[in-house]
Amino acid sequence: MKEKTQVADIDRAFYDFRYEEDESSFLGCGITPDIIREISQEKGDPEWMTEFRLHALKVYERLEMPAWGPDISGLDMDRIVAYIRPEKRMQNDWESVPDDIKETFEKLGIPQAERESLAGVGAQYDSELVYHNVRKEVAESGVVYTDLESAMHDERYAEMIRSHFMKLVPPTDHKFAALHGAVWSGGSFVYVPDGVRLEIPLQSYFRLNARGAGQFEHTLIIVGENAYLHFIEGCSAPKYYEASLHAGCVELFVGNNSTLRYSTIENWSKNMYNLNTKRATVGENAKVEWVSGSFGSHVSYLYPMSILNGRGARAEFTGITFAGEGQNLDTGAKIVHNAPDTSSYMNTRSISKSGGISTFRSSVVINENAVGSKSSVSCESLMLDSISRSDTIPAMVVKTDKADVGHEARIGRISDEAVFYLMSRGLDENSAKALIVSGFAENVSKELPLEYAAEMNNLINIEMKGSIG
Amino acid sequence: MTKTRLNILPTPTFGHLGVNYTEREVGFAGKENISVPEGADRQIIQFVDSDDDTCVAVGKNARLQLVRVCASEQGCVSKVNAALDEDAELGLIQLYLGGNNVSEIIAELNGSRSFFRADIGYDLGKDCTLDLNLAADHNGRKSISEINAGGVLRENAQKIFKGTIDFRTGSSGAKGSEKEDVILMDGAVVNKTVPVILCAEEDVEGSHGASIGRIDEGQVFYMKSRGIPEEKIYEMITRSKLARIIRKIGDEKTEQRIYNILGWGDEVE
Amino acid sequence: MSELLNVTGLHTSADGKEILHGVSLTIEESSTHVIMGPNGAGKSTLGSAIIGSPEYTVTSGSITFRGEDITGLTPDKRAKLGIFLSFQNPVEIPGITLSSFLRSAYENVTGERIKLFDFKKKLKAAMDVLNMDSAYAERELNVGFSGGEKKKAEILQLLVLRPKLAILDETDSGLDVDAVKTVSAGIKAYREQTGGSLLIITHNTKILEALTVDRTHIIADGRITAEGGAELIDEITANGFDKYIGR
Repeated sequence: MKEKTQVADIDRAFYDFRYEEDESSFLGCGITPDIIREISQEKGDPEWMTEFRLHALKVYERLEMPAWGPDISGLDMDRIVAYIRPEKRMQNDWESVPDDIKETFEKLGIPQAERESLAGVGAQYDSELVYHNVRKEVAESGVVYTDLESAMHDERYAEMIRSHFMKLVPPTDHKFAALHGAVWSGGSFVYVPDGVRLEIPLQSYFRLNARGAGQFEHTLIIVGENAYLHFIEGCSAPKYYEASLHAGCVELFVGNNSTLRYSTIENWSKNMYNLNTKRATVGENAKVEWVSGSFGSHVSYLYPMSILNGRGARAEFTGITFAGEGQNLDTGAKIVHNAPDTSSYMNTRSISKSGGISTFRSSVVINENAVGSKSSVSCESLMLDSISRSDTIPAMVVKTDKADVGHEARIGRISDEAVFYLMSRGLDENSAKALIVSGFAENVSKELPLEYAAEMNNLINIEMKGSIG
Repeated sequence: MTKTRLNILPTPTFGHLGVNYTEREVGFAGKENISVPEGADRQIIQFVDSDDDTCVAVGKNARLQLVRVCASEQGCVSKVNAALDEDAELGLIQLYLGGNNVSEIIAELNGSRSFFRADIGYDLGKDCTLDLNLAADHNGRKSISEINAGGVLRENAQKIFKGTIDFRTGSSGAKGSEKEDVILMDGAVVNKTVPVILCAEEDVEGSHGASIGRIDEGQVFYMKSRGIPEEKIYEMITRSKLARIIRKIGDEKTEQRIYNILGWGDEVE
Repeated sequence: MSELLNVTGLHTSADGKEILHGVSLTIEESSTHVIMGPNGAGKSTLGSAIIGSPEYTVTSGSITFRGEDITGLTPDKRAKLGIFLSFQNPVEIPGITLSSFLRSAYENVTGERIKLFDFKKKLKAAMDVLNMDSAYAERELNVGFSGGEKKKAEILQLLVLRPKLAILDETDSGLDVDAVKTVSAGIKAYREQTGGSLLIITHNTKILEALTVDRTHIIADGRITAEGGAELIDEITANGFDKYIGR
């Protein structure tokens, strides 16, 4: 009983103190313009990018930490700064990878070479062969899929990148967007020309080989008009970096009458602060579809945002978050209706277990000009025990009378009846609960390609078997 | 007078939405106390027209129906802080019929099986604002909260409704539900709705729902097909939202007084 | 007999898809017409188009009622002229009682104020025809009503509003034997009390037993494919629609 009280108290105290706390003492310093120049030089940035980085650093120093969300005071910025410096970057070794990560690799049956790549150490995962085939098919369709750094130097794309890079998520957006702007490294550039419908999904998985990539990576996707793309980010295997901050940025530009589906299964190692920013702008009669599974990390702030700028633009967000022991996952989505007849649909599930905290946080804004717009939000939360926590904090702002906004949320537990029923058919309690939780996650799994859905279920099983009873 | 930070959302969210708190000058005359002793059953009706800070204690097995009508021209800051003992029941009916109101309602469901029901109604016209922060804090086992809010915004009215159901440790078996139904009548209105559920207990059931926007097109068509013109339909449906709450007061004189304020005359519908 | 309703070359579409491909139909005063046809043929669409549902757009053709072109009128104006549609699935309207709703509709349709007491009397009389508990009058419109109760509430409105043309859209579907009897009695009472015309959209011939059918229209794939007298109903009952599908 005592333990229960503690969990709740600590959390409340944290909320109460948020306003007064002066965070400038940490995270304020450590990265100097010299370090930034060094990084920029090593990467061979064009001049505008060096300037951009230095500008972002200034913004970073000026901005304050968010006054809401999970505690990130445990983030050791000195250590992160140390890893950002080019000469030291990512010199991990396999021995330093924690045992629980190694065990999970084992359970997921991932080959050794790939494990080392995922853990950010040593040899690159030999995905070139697979990747080559994908690349060939992709290239034939006219789609560009490459890493952002080399694209920046390719005269065919240089201007496109310059005119889109961090235009959707400017460094002024928040402190970690500014940090990202200053130190970003690695990532993908995808360009889908008008009229091209790419049937196979592109997977960022094959791109995670670059040293240090995956921590401050930048994904820039530009989809032309009347086009289709499905992009898959991440995989169910845990990704480990000794420096425990992930501040990536994803910018998606969806042209008129196009659809972009962006799927993520994220399983950062449990030391990670995942402060990721994802955003899409959606043109006339175009659509963005987010499918998002958050399993890993110590702390997450993740709210993919869709800005519906064209008449008839649509956004769909389907998400699941599983917060286990030691995790505080603050996830959700943001939608801005900026044009007439736009529509949005959000459907999320969250699960809290073994002291984990999951928070669903969302905002839907319907602006004055978004007449005839519709939005519907539905979120469900499952509490698996009483030492965990689950909060739901949606907000709706409506500035026109010609809109329809609906919202539904539900929180509860696994029904004893359902567990009993499954047990009466021969399942043990853990398996019964795992099965029910997998069913609860079905909103997401049914949106994923088959092998990803299977991996996600596998992940849920591993999490569920961890500590029931 | 200095500005005081009021209506603080129990857990802050995205700053740019402007829903985390409100700042306003207040002039509370003092604290008013309402105490309902064990086993008693009371109804208290108040027309609130100046800044007001009221503490309510509902004892074991006691019942209180508290009716508060905020209908002054300029509006006011009002607070209700209620504590409910075992098996206590508080039914709160609160109406906002004009002015610029900032209102906070906190119900602490401390006793086992305590029950809190809130019926919140508003009809806000030109230049009217309402900033409402309501929280049902479940501490007691099997405590129940039911929050129903609804109303209509006209012309350039602005409204924020923040409603929190907080299942705290120890509230096992508790249930909380929250609903808001807002009708927007004009293009210049601004509506913000933040329905929060905080949960630190496994064995609880919480739900919230919100519906914001125009009157359902199917309803309008159905009523039109029976010969009722559009303006009349809007009038009937918006009135019905408030009338539903007003009828719960069950005191004819008060009900009539409210109808008069609303300019409905003798006939409600 | 003079003409009450005339539909000429009516084309309607919903979400850009055409459903009725040129339907023509005439209904005389004080007559009973039946529309039959397979599922999805456009029967309900025709009923909805006559009352002016915003769901369907009339792309060409016209509807006249008592000589007046009503194609562009809003549903409330059509109701005022004397058209009534009994909905297949009436919507629920929370907060408004059946009684106050119907009184408002009555005043708008007739154009005269009615005292609450007089209205209640009128309502009670109609409810008696349908064996309805008078408590229904004070319940919220259609809220929590069973399928049968909703249908009865529709017929109740028909009896109170006394339109010149009543379109009954599948009023008998989903009802048990007793409920069909009650509803049939209500329809019969409407005919006897007002002499108004009926346009009955149905699958079921039970509801027609107490009525004298003047004309039957078969709709298939958005077109009227056959017309005849009451005998057509028996033929359909015996042989089905197969003969009337396609061209």
